[in-house]
Amino acid sequence: MSAATDGDDADPLLKVRGLKVHFPITQGILLQRTVGHVQAVDGVDLDVRRGQTLGLVGESGSGKSTLGRGILRLGVPLTAGTVEYDGVDIAGLKGERLRKQRSSMQMVFQDPMASLNPRQSVETLITEPLRAHGKPVNSDTVGRLLELVGLPRGAALRYPHEFSGGQRQRLGIARAVALEPALVIADEPVSALDVSVQAQVLNLLEELQERLGLTYVVIAHDLAVVRHVSDVVAVMYLGGIVEEADSDDLYQSPLHPYTRALMSAVPVPDPEVEDHRERILLRGDIPSSADPPAGCRFHTRCPYRQPTRCDDERPELRVLRPGHSAACHYAEQIARGDIEPADAAQMVGTS
Amino acid sequence: MSIAAPTEPSGAGQPTPVADVAGESLLRGAWRRLRRSPLAIAGAAIVLVFVVVALAAPLLAPYEPASTQWAGLVTPQSVPGPAPDHLLGLDSFGSDMLTQLIYGARQSLIVGVVSTVLGLSVGATLGLAAGGFGGKVDTIVMRLVDVLLSIPSLLLAVSVAAVIGQSQLSVMIAIGVAQVPVFARLLRGSMMLQSKSDYVLAADALGIRRRRIVMGHVLPNSMGPTIVQATLALATAIIEVAALSFLGLGDGDPAVAEWGRMLVAAQERFGNDPRLAVYPGVCIAITALGFTLFGEALREALDPRQRR
Amino acid sequence: MTRPVGVRSEPLLEVEDLAVVFHGSRGDVEAVSEVSFSVRPGEHVALVGESGSGKSVTALAVMGLLPPRSTTVRGSIRYDGDELLDLDARSRRDLRGAEMAMIFQDPMTSLNPVVPIGVQIGEVLQRHKGLRKTEAREVSGDLLGRVGISDGKRRLKEYPHQLSGGMRQRVLIAIALACEPRLLIADEPTTALDVTIQAQILELLRELVSGTGTALVMITHDLGVVAGLCDEVHVMYSGRVVESAPRRSLFGEPRHPYTGGLLGSIPRLDSARGEPLTPIPGSPNDALPWTHSCAFAPRCGNRVDKCTVQTPALRGSEHASRPGDEQALRCFNPLDTREAS
Repeated sequence: MSAATDGDDADPLLKVRGLKVHFPITQGILLQRTVGHVQAVDGVDLDVRRGQTLGLVGESGSGKSTLGRGILRLGVPLTAGTVEYDGVDIAGLKGERLRKQRSSMQMVFQDPMASLNPRQSVETLITEPLRAHGKPVNSDTVGRLLELVGLPRGAALRYPHEFSGGQRQRLGIARAVALEPALVIADEPVSALDVSVQAQVLNLLEELQERLGLTYVVIAHDLAVVRHVSDVVAVMYLGGIVEEADSDDLYQSPLHPYTRALMSAVPVPDPEVEDHRERILLRGDIPSSADPPAGCRFHTRCPYRQPTRCDDERPELRVLRPGHSAACHYAEQIARGDIEPADAAQMVGTS
Repeated sequence: MSIAAPTEPSGAGQPTPVADVAGESLLRGAWRRLRRSPLAIAGAAIVLVFVVVALAAPLLAPYEPASTQWAGLVTPQSVPGPAPDHLLGLDSFGSDMLTQLIYGARQSLIVGVVSTVLGLSVGATLGLAAGGFGGKVDTIVMRLVDVLLSIPSLLLAVSVAAVIGQSQLSVMIAIGVAQVPVFARLLRGSMMLQSKSDYVLAADALGIRRRRIVMGHVLPNSMGPTIVQATLALATAIIEVAALSFLGLGDGDPAVAEWGRMLVAAQERFGNDPRLAVYPGVCIAITALGFTLFGEALREALDPRQRR
Repeated sequence: MTRPVGVRSEPLLEVEDLAVVFHGSRGDVEAVSEVSFSVRPGEHVALVGESGSGKSVTALAVMGLLPPRSTTVRGSIRYDGDELLDLDARSRRDLRGAEMAMIFQDPMTSLNPVVPIGVQIGEVLQRHKGLRKTEAREVSGDLLGRVGISDGKRRLKEYPHQLSGGMRQRVLIAIALACEPRLLIADEPTTALDVTIQAQILELLRELVSGTGTALVMITHDLGVVAGLCDEVHVMYSGRVVESAPRRSLFGEPRHPYTGGLLGSIPRLDSARGEPLTPIPGSPNDALPWTHSCAFAPRCGNRVDKCTVQTPALRGSEHASRPGDEQALRCFNPLDTREAS
């Protein structure tokens, strides 16, 4: 059940249904017992249309990075659910079939220094994936890709540590698009970069999307960044999507209390706005995904929490307007103004 | 040092002019840093002297090794000291001290190098298997390594000698075996650490085959600490050789030039002629120091956190 | 946000022509030079910059926390009229915690992991206020309450790893404010925290600092945080101040191309999706030396020939809106205020 339907009848490139990623928590030295699970992703449905950018935004424990990796089948076990990519369910793929599938779906990582092998020259790191998939490599391949991401051709002979952070991120992007994927998932693509460089990389990503016809999933904790690059934004909290809408629609009328709080918390570089905006402060800290609250996962911090349903019934993500869905029992009432927010208690530590 | 600044203020996509210069890999950077490090130079110098002396022993030594032709000059109370034809005097068996020291270097080098190579090759192979395959292989290998580690190296050496027989070979094997677990653990640990890195995950994301990831990505980045350990192991091996022969293991012939054994012989006469112990002792210490200095400098130079 | 700030009150902290040089094995690096700013009692001042700007080093210099043997600090740092650089190490230590306190970026590493938080707070009280252990414990419990941690007395026994990031930062704030310092320096206090937690912490800081009249020096790269919290903003680049202005002037009419560039390149929550970002080309690593040029020149859209061969001096601006407001600009060819949107 997702909000991303509007006029476009083409099948979405990516269709995720009921995805769960639970990490076992083990104890014991000789005999490892599973004593619990970290429910990093707990039932997510997503549609991403071709050529579109979906933004996933959330804080710690939201599961957004895990979701991104789960979709790509990267290092995380899929506990349940399906991931339909270009019509094929890749959730069960293994071994060589999975490896081959990878050339079509790539990731750009957060830390450009850590995601590039320090011992490989730029030339090697770009051509290696091509060779791994039997794609042609000629004398122009590397140069062309470097130009595509705004780096000089001479960079081919250099090593990652000789570049600045922003340039390294461009290398990571060049490597990811070398395979000509259809889907690129960018996991916090700019958060490790200096502020003045972030815009360069964001612009580059947009430019590449147009030139190469890419479909993006952009994962970030910075709502302003996500809003800027995404067509559709999905807000995640503790393993689930709590709201999904068009980028502008989300900003104009956020329906979920968490989204409202998140938006009011994002600092805006404008004294007028900052002085006059409504601040919604949440109670307490983000709960642990190993032990999430019962019912609505947000109810422990929600300023709009009601005595019934919130603490024992987990709300479904339901369509409230065309292209806009939220997972809240009382979303309509809140939007109409029937329910007032309680004063955010300033005390933390009670949960 | 980064790619030169744009000469024109440009938007995101403008490439900037820069010369086609081959970049500096981490190894090349390490070499450059090593060349400049006084520690490395000092250590390398000592090691070089040691190796040259050991290899060129027949050319450098004034006399034949282990020849006791001057035994007659040695009395129970004293051993002849430095003289024009015996620069460092005689040892308690009547051999020329300088000659014995020079040939002792050869012994130490041979045993040190062989045992370290043995330990490194077996240990690294085990470590690679454990770190590369993980899972059951890792568990089995590591338990084996734990067993080896739980035996004190001295005891291990004695046991090996008991099995193989007392000889130079058994000394080499004993020291080598004692070093296997260290190398195995080190390499396996490094590989486990590197396997969790983002660049390994990225390689997986790109669809690079697992074997290539292990051999081409994880292993090269895990070797640094192992290489450093190899140089340090050489230093310890030299001391261990001496220790084992001091204890009476190794070649049976007491007159055969070996620094550790010279220490044994020097024990009884320490009161009258301390120099009998001092000369070989200083040789052991300086040589071990040389390897240690070099190894430490190498560790610093290989540290990828050190840019330029 | 109107708070009474003494119009003509004497500055609590006056930094003049501060320079910090690091002596390394490869030579000397001037991390900070020609930095001047002042903080009046109760005022909130921001030092804004990216990596390499020198903002953190400046703060450490003010606190006297730079390693003495490998750094040289020149210039003047006057606190309450006293020249700090003339004081010996012990006197400066006495000031720290009691008169001026600092909170750091990473609450994980700033707290001692093997000591309960009650002890860490109590330490400061015992050291500077001479409280006895039991008294210190009382006050610590109250302090935890003041920073929004419920059940303070019971939590005194807890260890840092038992607390969340936001709570650890609250503890750090409690430690910093324990002895009621008159000056609080916060170095990226919320950078490592989630956004909603950041909002809580900033709100807490705002309240506490206003309530006690403590002066605040906020060090950050986040202009959004500055917009909501600070009266006076100093923008730093590559070790020098390039623009100083009261916050409305800075955000409304930035004069330095770097400031303007930053504001134009940050995605804003409230801007429409289609609006393009205008990035600043290059990176902070591409700076030229200040000694004979403008460090920002390689990346500057307003660059003229002079900029690569001469050092622009820091000049007071003619656009000062209130007497006593510091306005300064280091630029040969500033942005035309009429054009800046």
